[in-house]
Amino acid sequence: MATAAQKRIKSVSYAKYGYIFILPFFVVYFIFSLYPLLQTFILAFHANGGRTNLAFVGLDNFKTILATPAENDFKAMGIHDTFWRYMKNTVIIWVGNFIPQIALSLLLAVWFTDLRVKMPGKGFFKVVMYMPNIITAASVAGLYLSLFGDSSYSVINMLRGCNNPELGVEPLKIITGVWSARVLVMFIQVWMWFGNTMIMLMSGIQGINESLFEAAEIDGANSRQTFWKITFPLLKTIMVYTLLTSMIGGLQMFDIPFMLHTGNVINENIATVAVFVYQMFHKNFAKPSFGYSAAASVILFVITSILGALVFWVQRDKDAMEKAKKRRQQIKEAKRRAKGGGFSI
Amino acid sequence: MNALKKSLALIATLAIASTAFYACGTDTPANTDSTTEDSTVEDSTVEDSTEDSTPTDDNGEDSSSTDAVAIDVPETGDKLSVLCWTGDDVEKMIENFTKNKPEYAGKVEYVNVGSKGQEAREQYATYFAGGEDADLFVLEADWILEYINNDEYTAPLSKLGFTDADFSGCYPYTVSIGTDNNGVLKAASWQATPGAYVYRADLAEEYLGVKTPEEMQPFVDSWDKFTETAKTVKEKSGGKCAMADTLGGMWQVWQYNRKNAWAKDDKLVIDDYCKEYADLAKNYWDNGYVTKESQWDNKGWYPIGQDGSTMGYFFCTWCLGKGSMLSNAEGGMEDDGETPKNADIYGKYRITAGPSEWAWGGSWLALSPNCDNGEIARDFVKYFTVDEDTMEDYALFKGEFVNNPTVMKKIVDDGSNKNALLGGQDQFSVLYESASKIDMDGKITAYDAQIKDAFNNAVTKYVKGEVASYDDMITEFKKNAATIEGLTVE
Repeated sequence: MATAAQKRIKSVSYAKYGYIFILPFFVVYFIFSLYPLLQTFILAFHANGGRTNLAFVGLDNFKTILATPAENDFKAMGIHDTFWRYMKNTVIIWVGNFIPQIALSLLLAVWFTDLRVKMPGKGFFKVVMYMPNIITAASVAGLYLSLFGDSSYSVINMLRGCNNPELGVEPLKIITGVWSARVLVMFIQVWMWFGNTMIMLMSGIQGINESLFEAAEIDGANSRQTFWKITFPLLKTIMVYTLLTSMIGGLQMFDIPFMLHTGNVINENIATVAVFVYQMFHKNFAKPSFGYSAAASVILFVITSILGALVFWVQRDKDAMEKAKKRRQQIKEAKRRAKGGGFSI
Repeated sequence: MNALKKSLALIATLAIASTAFYACGTDTPANTDSTTEDSTVEDSTVEDSTEDSTPTDDNGEDSSSTDAVAIDVPETGDKLSVLCWTGDDVEKMIENFTKNKPEYAGKVEYVNVGSKGQEAREQYATYFAGGEDADLFVLEADWILEYINNDEYTAPLSKLGFTDADFSGCYPYTVSIGTDNNGVLKAASWQATPGAYVYRADLAEEYLGVKTPEEMQPFVDSWDKFTETAKTVKEKSGGKCAMADTLGGMWQVWQYNRKNAWAKDDKLVIDDYCKEYADLAKNYWDNGYVTKESQWDNKGWYPIGQDGSTMGYFFCTWCLGKGSMLSNAEGGMEDDGETPKNADIYGKYRITAGPSEWAWGGSWLALSPNCDNGEIARDFVKYFTVDEDTMEDYALFKGEFVNNPTVMKKIVDDGSNKNALLGGQDQFSVLYESASKIDMDGKITAYDAQIKDAFNNAVTKYVKGEVASYDDMITEFKKNAATIEGLTVE
C-alpha cells in the first residue's frame, strides 16, 4: 500500500521543465519563421507597389503569373514570360545537377564503406570532397567567373590565347551562352554538393547491419550483387530523404544562378524561380512588387508539396500496405459473419 | 502524453521543413555580387593620393560665424556620420575636412552601407529604420529621386541654415537634380561629372599620325567621325584595335544625350534615339569597332587598355585620379603607390573631348531627418559645396572636379593641375568645357536605373543576335521595363 507521501512524489511532474527548455525554439520560430511564412501567403493575395496598406486582389497575382497574357499587355507578358523562363531553367538545372550528383555520391559512398576495399587516406578524401561545400557561394561564383568568364582574360580564354590580340582568337562566351552557362551551373552545384550527399548516403549504408554484408560475402555474392540486393534496397529511406531535400533545395536554388554574371543584369539563362522572387520585390525600391514575389513563392510551395507527396507515394511500402488491407478485410469479414450469423455462399 | 510528444515532434519537424519556403518579409540573405565591381564610384583599390596634393593653407577662418539663418537640427550627437557605399570619396573628404578644420578631428566618421550604389539604395532605408546614427548620406544620380521625394528619408537643406542662394555657384544641373518635386532643395553635390574620350597617344600616332590631343579631336568630334576613325584604326591595326572600350562605355555617352526623359507621367518613352543607339551598337559590335569585353568586369576591362585591343576609353572625372579606372587601365601601381607596374603604358594616355559632351553618375549629399550634429553637418556640406576656397583645396587634394565653375576655371587658368596618368596633361581644361554644357534638367526620373538596365539588356541581346530584329528587341525591352512597378508601358 503506497503512503500519501509516496503518492505525492509519484505525481511530481518534471515535464514542465521540458516545456520550458523547448520554449525558446518555439518563440523564435513563431516570430521569425511562422509569421513571415503566413505573411507570404497573405501578401500573395495583395496588390503590388507598396509596403503597407496593400489592397486585397484575390487571385490576380497568380493569374498574371500563370495565365497566358493578353496581346500588348507588356507587364503581364514580362512577368509571365520571365516566370516560365526561370521555371524552365530551374527544372533543367536541377535535373542536370541531381542525377550526376546522386550517381557520383552513391558510387563514392559504396566505395568508402566497402569492407573489402582497403583504400588509404579515406578520411582525407572525405574531407577534401566535402570541402567545396564549406566555401561561400559568393566566393564560388567569383572563382568560376575568373576561370570561365567571358573576358579574354579569364583563365580558359587565356589558355586559348585570347589575351594576345595578334592571334585574333575570339574568346569563349561561357557565362552568357545559354547551354554553356547552364551546364556550368550544374557542374558547380554537383561540385559543391556531392560531398554532402556522399556523407549522408555513407551514414545510411553504415546503418545497415554489417552481418548482412558478411553473410553475403560468405555466400559468395560479388560486389555488384551485394550492392543491388542489399545496399540499395536497404538504403531506400535515406534515398527518399536525399531526393526530397535535394528537390526542395533545387527548386529554391538561388545563390549561384544569382551571382554568376558580370555587370548589373542577371543572366536570364540560368536565373531560377527564387531569383524571380528576389527580382520582383527589388526592382523598384520605392514600389516593391511583394505580391508577385509572394505568389511565385506560393506556387513554388505547391509544386514542392505535390512532388514531395509523389515521392512518398512512389516509395511507399507496398508489402505493409497490402498486409494492412488484408487485415482490414478480414476484420470486416469477421464482423459481417458475426452480424449475419455465419451466412455465406 | 504520448500523443502530445508526437504532436510536438510533428510541429518541430514541420517547423524545420517550412523554413525552406518562405520568401519575403525577412531580409533575404543574399550575398549579392561581392565579386563584381559595378558601382559607378571609383574602384575600391584606391592607392593613397595624399603625397602629391598641394593643399593650400589659405582656408583661414571658415565663415560659420556669419550665417544668418539658424540651424534647425539638434546638437545632441557627438560624431557626424556620413553614410556611403564606398569610402573612396567620403574618406578622402573627411581627411581633407579635418586637416583644414582641426577642431573637428575625430568627429566625423564614414559609415559603410552596402558595397555598391544599387545595394545602398535598398539598404539605407533598412539602416534608418534601425535607429542608428545617421547624419549625412550619399545618393547616386540614378536613384536620388526616390530618396529626395520622400520626407521620411531626407530633410531639406534649409534645416542646416542653407538658402538656395548659397548654391548659386554650383553647376545648375546639380541643383535641379537635388531639388524635390515641391521645389525644396534636399541634396547638394560636391562634384560635377563631365566625361571625355581618353586614348592611347602612342597608338593614335601609329595609326592616325596625330601627336597632340588638339590634333586628335577632329578625328572623334562626332559619332560619324568617330565611326570613320574606328574603321581606319581597325584597318591599320590589322583588325586588332577597336576604337571604344566597351558597349557600356559608349552607352554612358549616349545615355546622357537622350533628348527626352525615359518616362513621362510614369509612362515609358521610346523614341528614335533607341533605334539610333541600337543600330550604332550593332554596327560597332559586328565590325569590331568596340571590344567584346564588359565594363566593370575587371578581368578584361583593364588589360585591354594595355594590350592594344582598344584605342581608348570613355571616362569621366572620377575615372581619372590616382588609383582610379585610368590608373588600372595603365596597369596599376606597385604597393608603394609610386612605381607603375607597366612602365610602357604609364602616362601614355591623353584626354580629348570626344564625340559629344556627356556626364556620368554623380553623387549628392543629403541630410537625414535624424541628424543630431547640426553644426558639423552644416560645415561639412558648406565645405564641399558652397565654400570656394575649400572646394579648390579639395579639387587639388583628390583630383576631383568640384561642383563650382568659378573654382574649376581658376584651377584651369592657374594650370595648377597636372595628371601624371595623362602624361602631365590637365584633364580639367578639357572637362571644364563640357561641364558647362551639361543639362540634365527634367531628364532624370525615378525609374532610370531599372529602365537603363532593361534597355541595355535588350540591346546586348540585339547585338549578339539573340533577338532577331529591332522590333523584337523593343518588345523584349518593353516586357522587361513593364515589370518595374509603377511604370506604364504601352
